[in-house]
Amino acid sequence: MASKVGRVKSLSRRSFLKFVGGASLVGVTLNLTGCGKPITPDKAIGGNGWMPTQYNAPGNWPTSVRGRVPIDPENPAIVRDDQKCILCGQCIEVCEKIQSVFGNYELPIKKEFVCVNCGQCIQWCPSGAISERDDVNRVFKALADPNVTVVVQTAPATRIGLGEEFGMPVGTNVQGKQVAALRKLGFDVVFDTNFTADLTIMEEGTELVKRVTGELHHPIPQMTSCCPGWVKFVEYFYPELIPNLSSAKSPQQMEGALIKTYFAEKKEVDPKKIFSVAIMPCTAKKFECQRPEMNSASKELNDSNVSPDVDVVLTTRELARMIKRSGIDFASLPEEEYDKLMGTGTGAGVIFGTTGGVMEAAVRSAYYLITGQQPPAALWNLTPVRGMQGVKEAAVNIPGVGDVKVAVISGLANARKVMDQMKAGHAPWAFMEIMACPGGCEYGGGQPRASSPPSDEDRNRRAASLYNIDAKAKLRNSHDNPEIKQIYADFLTAPMSEKAEELLHTHYVSRADDFIPKKSEENKLY
Amino acid sequence: MAKGVLVDIPKCIGCESCSVACKLWNELEWDEQEKNKTAIDRAKEPNNGLWPEEWTSINRYDLEKDSESVARYVKTQCMHCEDPACVSSCFSKAFQKLPEGPVIYDQSLCVGCRYCMMACPFDVLRYEWKKAIPGVRKCQMCATRVANNQETACTSVCPTGAIIFGDREELLAEAKKRIKENGYVDRVFGEKEAGGTSWLYISDTPFEQMRFRTDITSKPLPSYTEGYMKATPFVGVGWAAILAGLYVYNNKGKEPLD
Repeated sequence: MASKVGRVKSLSRRSFLKFVGGASLVGVTLNLTGCGKPITPDKAIGGNGWMPTQYNAPGNWPTSVRGRVPIDPENPAIVRDDQKCILCGQCIEVCEKIQSVFGNYELPIKKEFVCVNCGQCIQWCPSGAISERDDVNRVFKALADPNVTVVVQTAPATRIGLGEEFGMPVGTNVQGKQVAALRKLGFDVVFDTNFTADLTIMEEGTELVKRVTGELHHPIPQMTSCCPGWVKFVEYFYPELIPNLSSAKSPQQMEGALIKTYFAEKKEVDPKKIFSVAIMPCTAKKFECQRPEMNSASKELNDSNVSPDVDVVLTTRELARMIKRSGIDFASLPEEEYDKLMGTGTGAGVIFGTTGGVMEAAVRSAYYLITGQQPPAALWNLTPVRGMQGVKEAAVNIPGVGDVKVAVISGLANARKVMDQMKAGHAPWAFMEIMACPGGCEYGGGQPRASSPPSDEDRNRRAASLYNIDAKAKLRNSHDNPEIKQIYADFLTAPMSEKAEELLHTHYVSRADDFIPKKSEENKLY
Repeated sequence: MAKGVLVDIPKCIGCESCSVACKLWNELEWDEQEKNKTAIDRAKEPNNGLWPEEWTSINRYDLEKDSESVARYVKTQCMHCEDPACVSSCFSKAFQKLPEGPVIYDQSLCVGCRYCMMACPFDVLRYEWKKAIPGVRKCQMCATRVANNQETACTSVCPTGAIIFGDREELLAEAKKRIKENGYVDRVFGEKEAGGTSWLYISDTPFEQMRFRTDITSKPLPSYTEGYMKATPFVGVGWAAILAGLYVYNNKGKEPLD
């Protein structure tokens, strides 16, 4: 090929334009690739989102609350949808300040997320990110199976909560409609946990009398054990006080154990084919029914194929979801009655649903158990243990015993204060009722989320509704319940008999090794 | 002064507030599949739970410590090297290290060659394979927040102080103090690794067991190539001059065709 050298001798217009064009292209390219551009943070990707104001202060200013509680993905009761979480910090607020769980352990954590499954974080979460673990489908599946007898029990407090899910005023009593809805959903047998609430009073009351008389070598004060959140709290933080806990199971677990033994025997149903569901105002009950001890029917019948005493626990909210999903018009349902055998409860049983209720019921029957006489009318309205105060005390005069001091506590931070006092030797009470959730079960972690944040106003309205049911009840003492008399005559023989011990009592385990206890007040998590 | 973050691994309780804060502040999309993964799942995945829309993640490792079984949570994200390999490998200057500490990425400059991904010693960069106009994604250390004298989104929400934001030098001193006081492993991961990083980690369990790259060099990665890569422009211009000279020499005395 021939050379081009010397071809261009003079600068033509064409070559000039070519040169300028080329130079411009190079310049534009260099510019586009950022050469010579100053480095500025706003060029970075991201960073245009939103965070709650407490996190947007300059520097490292302290804020009243940061972040959120840890929730184990394996938590049997509580789940969280990260996508809905706005990091407002309300869950930490309630867990630490009201329930005194979060922050009451040293770091590092060992393995387990310390959680009592109370579900108060659900009630406080403003964006609905935290909710109960949904077990609705397991129940629908059991209902669809024609070979399975699905037995359901409803807690005292669900009847005054469920209506709110259907637009009714706070505290509306929907007991009859709830039974009708459960039948319509296809539950074969509908029992009332109020029955076993009464049974709990008989067992726990007898235990208390035995402790006081010294027949049973367990320490006084006796503490209630119906609240699974509270029980787990003791197992975590106060294992040395486990002997003070009543060995009586919670009403839910008593009912569960009896459904697969007593009911199965009476109605000649194969216990292996019973699916036992509990409708509870509580998320901790989901944990409780999975405890390995809660397997009495299987042990009693000596058959490992019998499933746990309570197969599934549904919260009040989940029941409402089932009713809505099935297209049942709740408001227009008729009022129906619970099934017999384990469906009759007294006024004493129904007030289990609020703080002070267990105590009031226990006092009524303790009076009877000690004196053999019916309690005076004053014990049907034991005002010192009513109301939303965190710690309440009362002295009840029982002839032959004198003044019996009792204490009622709701909210675990309140319980912690009293437990610390007890450890220091100050415990003048004979009997203590403790509920994990402020206000008791009526504002439990499984109850409908009110339109307003948790408030004593709503708690009082729900409690008033329960007391109203009690006031109108024909039977107001647990020991007067005819089905209670029947079960002792036909099946259990007597309170704390060998059979009753087997089916209705339990034991507890220390969980102190699951974490490092907090060493001092200053050692806050943050 | 250059900022940094100190991660005190034993203080993490696994609440994952940090990764949610990252999502909120950077408006990262939620992926159904990623959302349902647990910290245990992520610890088993090769990419430490980092994806184009997951700039940080918590990985849980179940370990033995003093013959007791314990769980440790490790936050993963870009380490923000003092002398970043991604920056040096990027010929279009899409990656830049700010004097405040963050290593940031400007997608408008990116040509999509992904050299940065090859260069990163900690494997934190992710490419948006599913997008029509893809870019590279990673933690930006909240560059605009840091520039406005605010702490990063993730540190601002940490309820236990497991991640704290501050001046890197001060954090380094704090880290060494904590190692001594708490009997941690005697190493601040990030002090010297890859020439030092803005993010510093301390732990009471061996870093090797938590998938840290403990075998990494303490020399800045760009320093390996800097010596001869510095000569690139001279070689380029020089080589062009030589070729031009040869051309002129070869064609000397030849007549043009026309």
